Amino acid sequence: MGGYGDVQLLRDDGLRLDGRKVDEMREVKVEAGVLPAADGSAWVKHGLNVAVCAVYGPMEAHPRKIQRQDRAVIDVRYNMAPFSTSDRIRPGFNRRSREISKVTAEALESVVLVERYPRSKIRVEIEILAAEAGTRCVGITAAAVALADAGIPMRDLIVGVASGKIEDTVVLDLDKAEDNYGQADLPMGILPTTGEIAFLQMDGDLSVEEYNTCMEYNLKAAKEIHELMVDALKRRYIEKNGGEA
Amino acid sequence: MVELVPSLLRQELTSLAEKDERIDGRGRWESRDIELETNCLYNAEGSAKVTWGGTIIYAGVKFEMRTPWPDRPTQGSLMCGAELRPVAGRKYEPGPPSPQSIELGRVVDRGIRESGCIDMDALCIIPGEKVLGIMIDIHVLSDKGNIFDACALGAIAALRTAIVPAERFDIGEDYPLAVSMTPTMCSFTRVGGRYVLDANEEEELGGDERIHITLGDEGHLHSLQKGLKGTFTPAEFDEILGVAQQRCAELAELVNSKEE
Repeated sequence: MGGYGDVQLLRDDGLRLDGRKVDEMREVKVEAGVLPAADGSAWVKHGLNVAVCAVYGPMEAHPRKIQRQDRAVIDVRYNMAPFSTSDRIRPGFNRRSREISKVTAEALESVVLVERYPRSKIRVEIEILAAEAGTRCVGITAAAVALADAGIPMRDLIVGVASGKIEDTVVLDLDKAEDNYGQADLPMGILPTTGEIAFLQMDGDLSVEEYNTCMEYNLKAAKEIHELMVDALKRRYIEKNGGEA
Repeated sequence: MVELVPSLLRQELTSLAEKDERIDGRGRWESRDIELETNCLYNAEGSAKVTWGGTIIYAGVKFEMRTPWPDRPTQGSLMCGAELRPVAGRKYEPGPPSPQSIELGRVVDRGIRESGCIDMDALCIIPGEKVLGIMIDIHVLSDKGNIFDACALGAIAALRTAIVPAERFDIGEDYPLAVSMTPTMCSFTRVGGRYVLDANEEEELGGDERIHITLGDEGHLHSLQKGLKGTFTPAEFDEILGVAQQRCAELAELVNSKEE
């Protein structure tokens, strides 16, 4: 967190700079089945963030040393396109994208029924095309929809959401300015049906009460996004079946 | 991919070619449907999405302020790169840039650069000290054949709609980038012994060499490339060049129709 307190992030009327209430999410749009080359795919726009995800597999696991005798491995690549940020990013992996890829893979492994596909690999390719704070959460949401679109069985549709703290106030779904100048950020991957958490990171400064409020906001937002994800998958299913549900 | 599949596919494509047919029912010089969307990416100074049949690519333009090359103190620069990341298809593996993606980026780069559509001197801010660098990055998201033409189309469309972020560099107000021409690319692949326009994924898998032709506004040639194993005759080239003249003009018109 930047935490350089001089920037005003809450207006005098208590709303945020973009006019949202403290517990209001940015607009979310979800589409399933957007990439013809992939086995499953999704497009998610969350505020100004845009993520596209392609899923390939289950397929033979290569190299062989990554194979697991009793389950599938999930190979996640989270990547930001060079033009996705205000300063161009040099193509290729960096420490940040490697870490996000790793923890995202572990989150997905906790929801996908990996034991159904021993010795195989499921490739999840998350591409961030436009970034404006919260891309790892958008990536998780896109991955869940893409996995479902690929017909891969899961315990639940995991949803990526985040809350944080600006000007000592807990808010849902930080935007770029709030992320840069705020005091805390708590991204989570939530299983909305059971309320379990499969992905968790946090940085900044939160009291226990503030954490509890964040948790409450995240759960609420996860349920809202979950409905959009299910709708997108239903539309895709109807489209695939020539217009019949 | 197992060798068996391409050889069976090759037989199928050859027998179709004898009847002057294509595997997806198109005519020999018929393209798949193209959708072009511009200004579609927040954070990119110019952007385009191309949906070309099942092939999907994004192109984004970014600018940077840099010091000029010592031998060209009054000239800015242009660079175009393409990434064939594993997202684009089952056959793509993670790793450093493949020869294939480097070829793709460079062929698209040459077509734009050599057309002279960007005045490099106009990118100079302070001679010898500060010039603008233009970077076009192409991201292939779904490869269902003929990514070359899709990438070239996206790159020029993104460039033609780019806004120079002058305010961010403290050099005045933002202004649209001056692009004096619309070079476009047409690619031909030998399938079943004869050339076809806009090969799809199967035709590429069971086909032979390909030829990429980039033409500018006057129908002038700006970049040529032959890829993969095979040879062609001057008469064959004359024939596809004629097709390219017509097709490139149509593609340029599509790009130009996206500008306000």
